[in-house]
Formats: sequence, C-alpha cells, structure tokens
Amino acid sequence: MKFKAGLTACNSKKEARRGRCELDNMDSTDYWLLNVQIERRYVYDGDAVRGTETELSHVQFREGVIVRVIAADGMNLINTDGEQILAGPAYDGRGMLMLPSFTEKHVHLDKTLLGEPWQAVIPASGVAGRCEIEKRILPQLVTPPLQRAELLLQHLIEAGSTHIRTHIDVYPEAGTKQLEPVLNLFHSYRHQITHEVVAFPQHGLLRSGSKALIREALQQGAHLVGGVDPATMDTDLEASLHLMVELAVEAGAGIDLHLHDPDYLGTYTMKRLAKLTVDAGLQGNVSISHAFALGEVSETEARSTADLLAEAGITIITSAPHGRTLPPVPLLWEHGVNVGAGCDNIYDTWQPFGNGDILERASRLAERFAWIDERSLAQSLRLITGGRETLDAQGERVWPVPGDSADLILVDASCAAEAVARRAPRKAVFSKGHLIWDDQTGHRKVHG
Amino acid sequence: MRRIIQHQQTPYWLRNVRLEQGYRYENDHITGTISELFDLWIEHGKIMRIVKTEDRNISDSLTVTTEFANEGEVELGMPISDRDAQGMLLLPGFREMHIHIDKTYYGGPWIAPTPPEGIFKRIAEERELLPRQLPHAQERAVKVLSLLQSSGVTHVQTHCNIDPQIGLANLEATVSAAAQFSQSLTCEIVAFPQHGLLRSGVVAEMKEALRRGARWVGGVDPATVDNDIEKSLFTIMDLAVEANAGVDIHIHDPGHLGTFTMNRLATMTEQAGWQGRVNVSHALGFADVTEAMQVQLAERFAELDISITSTVPLNRWMPYSLLKKHGVRVGLGEDTITDHWGPFGRGDILERAGRLAERERWSSERGLAETLGYITGGITPLDDQGNVQWPLIGDTATAVLVQASCSAEAIARRSARGAFIYQGNLVNG
Repeated sequence: MKFKAGLTACNSKKEARRGRCELDNMDSTDYWLLNVQIERRYVYDGDAVRGTETELSHVQFREGVIVRVIAADGMNLINTDGEQILAGPAYDGRGMLMLPSFTEKHVHLDKTLLGEPWQAVIPASGVAGRCEIEKRILPQLVTPPLQRAELLLQHLIEAGSTHIRTHIDVYPEAGTKQLEPVLNLFHSYRHQITHEVVAFPQHGLLRSGSKALIREALQQGAHLVGGVDPATMDTDLEASLHLMVELAVEAGAGIDLHLHDPDYLGTYTMKRLAKLTVDAGLQGNVSISHAFALGEVSETEARSTADLLAEAGITIITSAPHGRTLPPVPLLWEHGVNVGAGCDNIYDTWQPFGNGDILERASRLAERFAWIDERSLAQSLRLITGGRETLDAQGERVWPVPGDSADLILVDASCAAEAVARRAPRKAVFSKGHLIWDDQTGHRKVHG
Repeated sequence: MRRIIQHQQTPYWLRNVRLEQGYRYENDHITGTISELFDLWIEHGKIMRIVKTEDRNISDSLTVTTEFANEGEVELGMPISDRDAQGMLLLPGFREMHIHIDKTYYGGPWIAPTPPEGIFKRIAEERELLPRQLPHAQERAVKVLSLLQSSGVTHVQTHCNIDPQIGLANLEATVSAAAQFSQSLTCEIVAFPQHGLLRSGVVAEMKEALRRGARWVGGVDPATVDNDIEKSLFTIMDLAVEANAGVDIHIHDPGHLGTFTMNRLATMTEQAGWQGRVNVSHALGFADVTEAMQVQLAERFAELDISITSTVPLNRWMPYSLLKKHGVRVGLGEDTITDHWGPFGRGDILERAGRLAERERWSSERGLAETLGYITGGITPLDDQGNVQWPLIGDTATAVLVQASCSAEAIARRSARGAFIYQGNLVNG
C-alpha cells in the first residue's frame, strides 16, 4: 500500500529508502504508527483454538493516547470531508505485531552488579550470611549505584516494560542511602516509564530495627512498605505483620511482602496478612512476592488460602525461579487471585543469573504449567501486562481500543502465543505515546 | 552464512585465545578463575602447540594475522595461517544430546501444539502429521542443525522416528541433512520407534535403519507404551548387539515403574556386556522415588557406565547432585525446538546448562564452572583441584569461542558465542 504525496512520513529521503521512518520530533506524541499487525480473533477448529488471526493496521496516537485504529487494506486516505486522514509524522511498524507493553513487578535496581566485571556468588551459610556479604560488597563496587541501576533499567525497557516496581533496601548501616540514586534515575526517566518503589527492610523489619527508616523512605518518595519473612526473619510473626500494616496505613501506602517461608508456615503468614489487610481496609493495595508456600502445601490448604487472598484483593507476584517450587498459578487464577510477574535479582550477590527479560519469565511459567496450546500461551501474557489482554475469553479483540493509553510494544512474532513461546525479539517500545526504545536507534530520552 | 574459514588441511595459528589456568583463592574459597592468552597451533585436526601469547616468537607467524571481521575483504589465494580469537575464551565444543530434528515446525510458520493429553495423543497426531511434513523434513532438519551450531554445538544426538507411517523416510531426511554438516558437526542418529517398538511392530524397519545411518537403538517406555517390559528391553538389547550399536532409550515412566524398568535395563546391559554403551533419556523415575532408591539405581548406573540425558524439566525434580555424587554421567538436551510436542526450545544448550545451574543453585564460581561438563561430555578446562586438564597438546581441536572471562561466567550469563573449531576446521559464528 503506497501513501499519497503530502503524507510527511519521513523527514529525509534517506530514511524513506531505508524503509524506516523516524519521528522528526522525538518528543511528539501526535503521530501515526503504521503497518502493525494487531490480533483480531482466534481461529477455531470446533471448540479448540488453532490459531490467531491478525490484521495489518495503522494506529493514530494523540497526546499519549490511542485515538484511532484502522485496518490497512481498504483504507480511504481521504475522509468524507475531503481531508487527508493519514497525515503528519509516522513510525513504520514494518509489519511487526503490536502488543500491550509489559509490567515488571519485582526487581532490585539497587542490588545489581551489572557494569562490574564478572564475579560469582560467594557461598554463604543462610540468609543472614548472604545479607552480611551483600552489605560488605555493595559499597565497595567501582561502578556507581546510579550507573548500575540504569544499566538494569535499560535492559528492562528493552524487554518491553513501561512500568517498573523495584524494591530498595533500607537498613541501619546504609539508612535510606540506596533510595536516592534510584529515585533520581526514575526522575530522569519520568517521561519514559512509570514506577513504584518499595522500601524494603532486607534484613528484617523488626530484626534490623528499621521502622524509622521505612517511615523516612516513605517520606522521601517510596510508594510501598516492604517486608520479608515475618516468621523466620523477625521471629514475632504477628508483631512484624502488624508493624508493616501500621506503617502502610500511616503513610497511605501499599504493601509488598517478600515471603519465602515454606509450606504451612508460609500459608499461615498469608492468611494472617489477609485478615490484617481487610481489617485495615487495604484491599487491593497488598502484594506478596514469591509465596512459594502455596506450591508446597496440600491442595485443600492452597485453595482455602487462595480464597482468603482473593477476598483481601492480595496480588501474588512470582519470578518463576528454576530453583524453587512455584505457586500454583492456574489454581490461583481459578480462585480469582491476581498474579503478576517480575525478574527479581539480576546478576547480584544473591545469584549470578537473570537477563531482565520479563517475557522470558512468562514463558517459564507457560512451560512449568504446560500452557503449550495457542489459547493458553496467549492468555499467559496477562501475567506481564498488568492484566491487559488483546483478545477476551471469547477470542474477540479487546485491545487496543480508542482511549487506551499508548503503552505498547512491537515484537517480531505472528501472534501473542508465538511471542510468549518463542520469546520473540522486541523491536520497539512506546510509553504514553513516546517511542522510548527501538532496536535500530536504541534508548531515547524524552523531554516531557 | 556459516562456513569453514580455515580448513584443517592447512596448519594454522589461532592467536589470542583465552584459556583457564586455575582458580583464585581467598582463605579457603574460590573468588575467581585465572585465565591467560595463548596462541594455539592447529595441525591435522589437533591442538599441537599451546604457547603463551606473551612468549610468542614473531618468526612463528607465517603471514599476517587476520581478524574474522575482515573475512570478506581478504583476497582469495592469499596464504593465511593466522587467525585472531581476540581474547575470547575457548571451551570444549558443546553437545546437544537429545533432540528430534526430523519432526519439527522450526523453519515453517508458527503452529502451537494442541493441549497436552499424554503420549498416545501425540502418537496419533504423528500418523497424519509426519507424512504431511515430510516434504519439509530435510530442509527443516538443516535449519535446526544450523541453529544448534550457532549456540556452539559440535556434537548432536538426534532421535529419528521409525514408525509404520513414515517408515525410513525421516531417517533419509536426517542422514541427508547431517551430510551437509559433515565437516563441522558430529551427528549421531538414534533409530527411534516413537510409536512403540513392539506396539507398532517396527523391528524389521529398525534393523534396516541401523544399516542405513542410525548407530543407536532407541526405544520408549517398555511398560506404558509397549506393555511388556522384558520383551521390549530384550528386543532393544538384541537389536543393539546384532548391529553393534549403542542404546538410547526414552524412559518417562514415573516412580517405581520407571526405576524398575531402569533396573531391568541395567541387568540386561550387564548380561550383554554393553557397559558404556547404554543411555537413558529423561529417566524421570529418579525424580519420584526415595533417596535410598535413587542411590541404589545411581550406583548401578555408575557401575555399568549407563549414562542419562536430561532436558532439565521444570515440573519434576531430578536429583542431579545425587547422580553426580555417585558418578553417573549426565548430558543435556533440549528435546524440541518448536514442534507438536512443545514450543519452547531455544536451540541453545548453554542456556539449558544455565537452567540446570539455576535449578540446582550452583551459583558459586566452582559450581558454575563444573556445570559446563554437562554439555561437553564431561570435559572442563579445570579439574576439581583447579588444575588445567583441557586443552592439552594432542587434544582434538573441537572447541567454541565464547565472549566470557571464564566458564562460570559463560554458564551464568549465557555469554555470546563466536566462531568454533571442529576437528581443526575453523567455522565462523
């Protein structure tokens, strides 16, 4: 399909010849995204989904919002008033698949060693030992915290995420020092991504006496109260949970608790937190990260815990690590529990693995739970899109619709199912209508 | 486009190669791996000289050093016997020990599998699918082998369907595909009766397959697929002995059904004198039984040198540390890239090794470095004392160049692979 003259699709002939169009104003949010495949519906064979139909389309952005989606073929370039529809700057999607952008729900931007030369994990005896090692190593690193955090943030953006939730350690030896570089980093990326910061008492809220530090961190800009293993870290499980909730209510903040504690100890902790959440009116504002215990108990226990989590509107966040039993995501979904995903530690003193690719985490979950067919693969995407789906349960398009925020990515895949299974290459990332990264020109700073 | 840029017929120097030399210690624990740059003289397919780069004698160089990147600008006919590895780490060539290159969607349009409903559903699908895919089988097998090469694989063991519908056609496609890689890849073919050796009555075809390029006798679940453990195992061993071939049998059967089957296999291995020539793929029974049972079977496997190939499944806990402790050889394979069984394969065996290290929490320098052995047939540059054991003068020049400072980093960070050498032939990445 060729465009008529008058369409300023490219600002130079050279770019036109290359078949790519660059926006002449990088900060513009008023333009067309051309030639993208958008999922239209499932293809059925009887009751079974056998494939996904996509439609080559053009999408119009205005002020960071999707205002129009048109099928590319049979398109009229002139509307009924004789005006040119497709005018103005444009970005050529080159036939790539358009998907909702991703949400990274659990990382530690302050811990990563990215930027440093290779170093393996030093063996430690237990979590306490691991914490001591980290406290010793982090301050000695040559690469400044801001630089390490930015390297990781760039990986996360390249993976397709436009929203990041990071935990930042607060503890007596460092105070809230680890917060500042990351808050500054987010400030400089404020037009590119949205973020949340969890004030995370890595060494135990009670155990390390970090109550005042959490309060301070919340005042400095952290959005959520963190916590870790109320039983095995803080010993007094009740007191630990109560304090976490108290701090959250006081600051009008949410909660994101790291819970590794095993089997029935873990589910007991979750049930107590669910009760406190409802009592405090924090429904919808509480998350539990890891929650391995849900996969380590009887099915009855898992189901009853899931019901309480759903009632309390508690979200479970998993990083799908290979080395632990995972929470049973299909069971959680069955009971109406919201589940999200994150990459967690990326190359730090805790473990040397991780590439920051949230799409890979989705494919891990798909592999673990045998979501290998077209529908199951496609639906797994909602784990990493903050719940956004392209097709609904009936297989009809529900995204994008005019009015949606232009937070989306382009991937080299024929459908969402393929994107998950094959961890499709990401080609471009758009956040509130800004192009913030593509594979040809890299990261783009946006100036608001 | 991958090609041989230096043939083994002409000896050459491979310069600036990083080789591991030992571990660095602090108190009692390992803090890092020491490596240095070397020049290797490759002659007749072997590494015949290993000289420290800093000790290089200028007169050793016959002509100018050429970087891979300049390959396109080099004139034909110009004698070249210097190649520059640019400080990349050299590791033993990787091995993909369990894959099915004959029946894949890779290279064709995206198709998701149907929901999983057990092996017989897949077998039923194959009756129609494989003949329909046959026109593409060779071309796709070539694409898969090419993909594997790009991950540093120099040795592949592929299971090829021998079933009533496809007959020997997939074998022909596999043999033809492998032939295109004869100077850059070892491709071992397992004659694999996917639909059941006894159940689908393919003994005669298996014998023929073993005459036509397959050098291993395959099999699948003597209990749940063939419904006769003794007869199925016996027939497999009989075929193997008659053809002087190895055995590589898929045993998915769970719990004590699996361990019982494997114990019977061990007994027949001993009776046939086939020690060192029998491999069990998957061996999932190990994941379900008590430690005592795991130890009993592991000891037997070690004694009879029966090896295991694992895909590092995410829904079972295979006792890798226990198997290692008892001396059982374990190799890795991805099984599928993307086919009607599963859509997740990367074609990257280094990624699979990283998955294993992550699963077993082998996060230390030594733990990670030792993981490499799972994808190199047990060869690691350093032994468990940290002494150099590879490469040594006279070793076959089959190795891969990796963008990493040490094997621990390569495993943890899934470092980029570059060119590789296969029996002296240098192939661009």
